[in-house]
Amino acid sequence: MSTRSRLAPYLFVGGAAVYLLVFTATPLLRGVLLSFTDTKLLNPDGGEYVGLDNYHDLLVDDRFASSVLTTILYTACTVAGALLLGTAAAFAINDGFRGRAVVRAILTMPWAVPSIAVVLVFTWIFNVGDGVANRGLAGLGIGEQGWLIDPDLGLLSVTAVSVWKVFPFIMLVVLAALQSVPAELRESARVDGADRFTALKEIVLPHIAPTLRIVALLMTIWSLRRFEIIYLLTGGGPVDATNTLVINVYREAFANSDLGRASALGMLGLCLSLVVTVVYFVVERRSARREEL
Amino acid sequence: MKRLTGAGPGRWLAVVVLIVVAGFPVYWMLNTALATREELFSGQSLWPRVDRIVSVFDVFDSDVPLMRWLTNSAIVASGTTFFSLALAVLAGYGLSRYRRFHGRGLVGFALFATQMLPEALLIVPLYTLFVSLGLINGLFGLVLADTAFAMPVAAWIIKSAVDGVPYEIEEAARVDGAPRFVIFSQVTLPLVAPSVAAAAVITFFDGWNEYLFASTFIRDSTKWPASKGLSSFIGEFITPLSTVFSAALVFTVPAIVFFLLVQRRIVSGLTSGSVKG
Repeated sequence: MSTRSRLAPYLFVGGAAVYLLVFTATPLLRGVLLSFTDTKLLNPDGGEYVGLDNYHDLLVDDRFASSVLTTILYTACTVAGALLLGTAAAFAINDGFRGRAVVRAILTMPWAVPSIAVVLVFTWIFNVGDGVANRGLAGLGIGEQGWLIDPDLGLLSVTAVSVWKVFPFIMLVVLAALQSVPAELRESARVDGADRFTALKEIVLPHIAPTLRIVALLMTIWSLRRFEIIYLLTGGGPVDATNTLVINVYREAFANSDLGRASALGMLGLCLSLVVTVVYFVVERRSARREEL
Repeated sequence: MKRLTGAGPGRWLAVVVLIVVAGFPVYWMLNTALATREELFSGQSLWPRVDRIVSVFDVFDSDVPLMRWLTNSAIVASGTTFFSLALAVLAGYGLSRYRRFHGRGLVGFALFATQMLPEALLIVPLYTLFVSLGLINGLFGLVLADTAFAMPVAAWIIKSAVDGVPYEIEEAARVDGAPRFVIFSQVTLPLVAPSVAAAAVITFFDGWNEYLFASTFIRDSTKWPASKGLSSFIGEFITPLSTVFSAALVFTVPAIVFFLLVQRRIVSGLTSGSVKG
């Protein structure tokens, strides 16, 4: 191989690699270093090395524990809700029918709406006095709810908005997978006398399972880091009800000016995403091996 | 293909419920944009005053500097698209066509890892970096920060598109003695153009929608992109809601239109590109 062709891949990939190094990896490394200091926002160059103090303080803090719990709860419910709703929607519009393209377009809309517009409209829908959500409940004879200001409801409302925003992505992905189930497979199942449920379980589900796994992974890591919708709807409140780790990072850095602690929080949150990703790849490898056998 | 008529009323019901769930908030933006203050607070009608539809554009004559915000958003979004695609087209092609070179795994991992990074964690280091580069309080700094998060997604989509182009097509041109870069730009790139377009839409609206960097890096309200500008209405009760939601609609509609145009390619690019490394 000539020197030129050996260099080629680096010329193609090099730009992106350098970019990530400068604008992602280096800031991340700085974040790691900050997490071992007591740096304050008002004096960003004046931090002292404090070892693992920030991590230690967090791990013995009940508020941190409840933030981790909130994060896991929010992520689990958002991913489960979006998977259920998205898959159900994909099945509902999988067969051809007149107007299907329009229906699919309408169901795709939430995914395209910018987060800030989502927040504006849901803040109004959930408005206590005049919002349409409470007026709907009143019509059913149910009293007013403080959707975004009641500590018992805050997380549920924020999760519902998140599910609404992200389910179309799952719908589109599952729909694409469903369309690729070979017609002969379904046909032969039908000839063999399998009922709808058996055909679904034995043929369709195994076919779309890898797709569901990757989309579940993406959904999970995106939910673990979701910021705008939560922060702008509730700011982490009411009474910390929606105080996920990323919200916590932002609050520590910009409200409490504690960059060291904020960075340590961010690192621990990142570990959560890493764990999920590693689990995913272990599961993928196992199922790949099973298919080889 | 089977007609839905054979699928029973259960399915119709499900479709109708889904349409209402997905469509209602967008519908409500429109409804609110078309209502007067009195109508809103005396029990907002479920039916929008479509006869007032042109009044949505009155927002451009209001006190809200929407035109300036949208211009700033368009600048950030265009810049993000330009840098992201320039890097991602090359990287996507390189990762797809060259299977063995030092650091390939690392670059692949780094592209995926950006999906896990919370922006909130990177804000402070990026902030200090931009201060030292003199990029704070400017739209160009936003472009650079947004590109770091948008480019990996674009690279992913383009890589999976190139994966789908049979290598034999390039082989033929190679035999004719065409250099690799010419093959890339003249043969393969045109074939994956639809996916590049999809990646362009994704990156454009990444920049268009981005809020967190915009709200921390930009101090002058004249340089606010629309995401930050619109967020200033939250918890503010002076601007009429019809104005707020007219602005939100003008900001939202382009995103909906473009996403609907390219949704299929985004979906296949994101999922297939990530499983088959």
